[in-house]
Amino acid sequence: MRRILLSVFGVLALAFALLTPAFAQTKGVVYYMVPTLLDEFQTGSVSALELFLKQVGYEMKTLNADNKTDVQQSQMNDVIALKPGAIILAAVDFNALKPSIEAARAAGIPVVEFDRQITSTKSDLTSVAGTIEIGYVAAEQAEKLLSARNGSVKGKILQVLGDPGDPYTLDIQKGFEEKMAEFPEVKIISVPAMQWEASNAGTIVADQMLANPDIDLIFGHAAHLSVAAVASLESAGKKPGDVMLMSSNGAPVGLDLIRKGWLNVEVEQPLYAQAAAVAMFMDKIVNKQEIKPGEYDVIGLKGVVTNEEWGPNIKVPGAAIDKSNVDDPKFWGNLKPPTDTVKSAE
Amino acid sequence: MNPRTRRALEFVLDNLVWFMLLFVLVVFSLFVPNYFQLGIFANIVEASSVLGVMSIGLALVIITGHMDLSVESVAALSAMTVGILFCSSGIGMGVVLYPQWLMVPASLVLALAVGGLIGAFNGYLVVKMKMSAFIITLASYIWVRGLVLVISGGRSAQDLAPSIRWFGIQRLMGIPLTAWIAISSFIAFSLILAKTPFGRHLTMIGGNETATFRAGIKVNRNLILAFVLAGAIAGMAGWLLVIRTSGATANLGIGLLFNAFAAVVIGGVSLKGGVGTLPGVYAGVLLLSSINTAINLMGLPANFTQVIHGLLVLAAVLLDAFKQSIRQRLA
Repeated sequence: MRRILLSVFGVLALAFALLTPAFAQTKGVVYYMVPTLLDEFQTGSVSALELFLKQVGYEMKTLNADNKTDVQQSQMNDVIALKPGAIILAAVDFNALKPSIEAARAAGIPVVEFDRQITSTKSDLTSVAGTIEIGYVAAEQAEKLLSARNGSVKGKILQVLGDPGDPYTLDIQKGFEEKMAEFPEVKIISVPAMQWEASNAGTIVADQMLANPDIDLIFGHAAHLSVAAVASLESAGKKPGDVMLMSSNGAPVGLDLIRKGWLNVEVEQPLYAQAAAVAMFMDKIVNKQEIKPGEYDVIGLKGVVTNEEWGPNIKVPGAAIDKSNVDDPKFWGNLKPPTDTVKSAE
Repeated sequence: MNPRTRRALEFVLDNLVWFMLLFVLVVFSLFVPNYFQLGIFANIVEASSVLGVMSIGLALVIITGHMDLSVESVAALSAMTVGILFCSSGIGMGVVLYPQWLMVPASLVLALAVGGLIGAFNGYLVVKMKMSAFIITLASYIWVRGLVLVISGGRSAQDLAPSIRWFGIQRLMGIPLTAWIAISSFIAFSLILAKTPFGRHLTMIGGNETATFRAGIKVNRNLILAFVLAGAIAGMAGWLLVIRTSGATANLGIGLLFNAFAAVVIGGVSLKGGVGTLPGVYAGVLLLSSINTAINLMGLPANFTQVIHGLLVLAAVLLDAFKQSIRQRLA
């Protein structure tokens, strides 16, 4: 009996060792701390980072914090103990993770901020589209849409925010409202869809369309919120084009809505480029070499590296997607990962 | 206190949640711009459909003196299963049945089956293995939501089959069909709870499980059935979620559980079991939905809405506790 048990344990131990990715030959292991897997941008970021990091020789492991700050803090502590080549952090909370970042860097582990910019402490690279900038791009698009419909930049906008506890949506709101403040004839009604839940957004749109039937444009802070908005508009007997729609993040469902004529504009977050930028600089990050400021070609897009107080920062601008360019494979919402291989930056 | 006043007071106490609803509707109509209109009231009824249906199942289990924390995740799993099969874009497989109207009952049966299966699993562990319903259904709340992530990969299913979608946008007498489904479910289950032996047994079990057993009633069978029903009804809530939003995302229905609990408690169902009616629960659901709609229309700064929502729910629960204390004094 003992012999059988020992054999079973032996086989299991061997299988475990062989299946452990560390057994494979790589330049090292990089941990990606993803804030949640409940939306397509986040799941897309996992596969994109995995793909590009593999191309430059790294193995990636992902830990999901389920949108909980305390969970992410514990995960950071655990990963620091494992001493990986680097940590890529998309923080649940922009500031609460500051001590964890500092602890990792103090332990000699480089930290890359992904998607969510943390300016209160130093990091080894920040790769963002810029949430405030997404708000700016959205405002430019709103300006165009309102001008085209009303002859000048005037009218009523319903802004469907995500969860009010999520800085991602609050930053977009800040950027959007900052730019739209230039147009006093535009009234913006902002209502949060708690927990980013689609049916909450549907209810908001249904209520607001009754209370303010003269709404010209609905701006949802994520494409899946626009899907529910469309369902409410449809239920109210509206047809595509009756109310203009715009959303941000560039998810596949948003691109589908553009093709169907419901959505006018989707402000994209350049997910692939953001992920590719991290992979491009990973050798420099792991080896603690300087990342020089300047322009870099990031899988065909222009990325600009600047030296900020919080460290090197690469920003790849997000594009506005409409009917004219919706099928361009460079948009992550088309779910066709770039065929270009990422090379380590010189 | 003379008998007439006493009867009047008891009537008010029995229907306090309806008076609260009326009060809230009047106050909001007076002070919230654009609130007082038929369309908004129809929206309140529609917005309460998913929460309402989910609250029925939860109330059935709570009346037996047990707990089902898994209903929100069960609804999400049923929604995602229906979404994957009957949506045509995203992760949707675009399954088509002929004639196409068949997809409506087929998707509903699928949602009910998914929910019923998990309900049966919960019920078996709670009743046969004598495990705590709180712990078992909490575990189910977690693993079932995890399963939603596993089968969806975090992605969404969109473009629901038009024949199913039809249910989500059609109206009858100005009220969406989804709301009629919820109202019908409330009527049906209210009758089951009040007029059938099964319903009365559930209330008796909640009142005193041992005495009910000694009276020769099959407690275990009824309890398992209550869990199966709670699961299946949660599955139906998931189905309503899909047809309301025309697709399924991995976070669909998140946060519904707490609202369902609030609605059940405000509606007069005792968390200790044995007390409660479903019309009261429906009034609780409508009350919460009215508050949500007012918040949506008030255009408050985003950070304040959750605080106000929570405080209003707290006020409703405190009023309910006040009702209980008056009732005790009357007894």
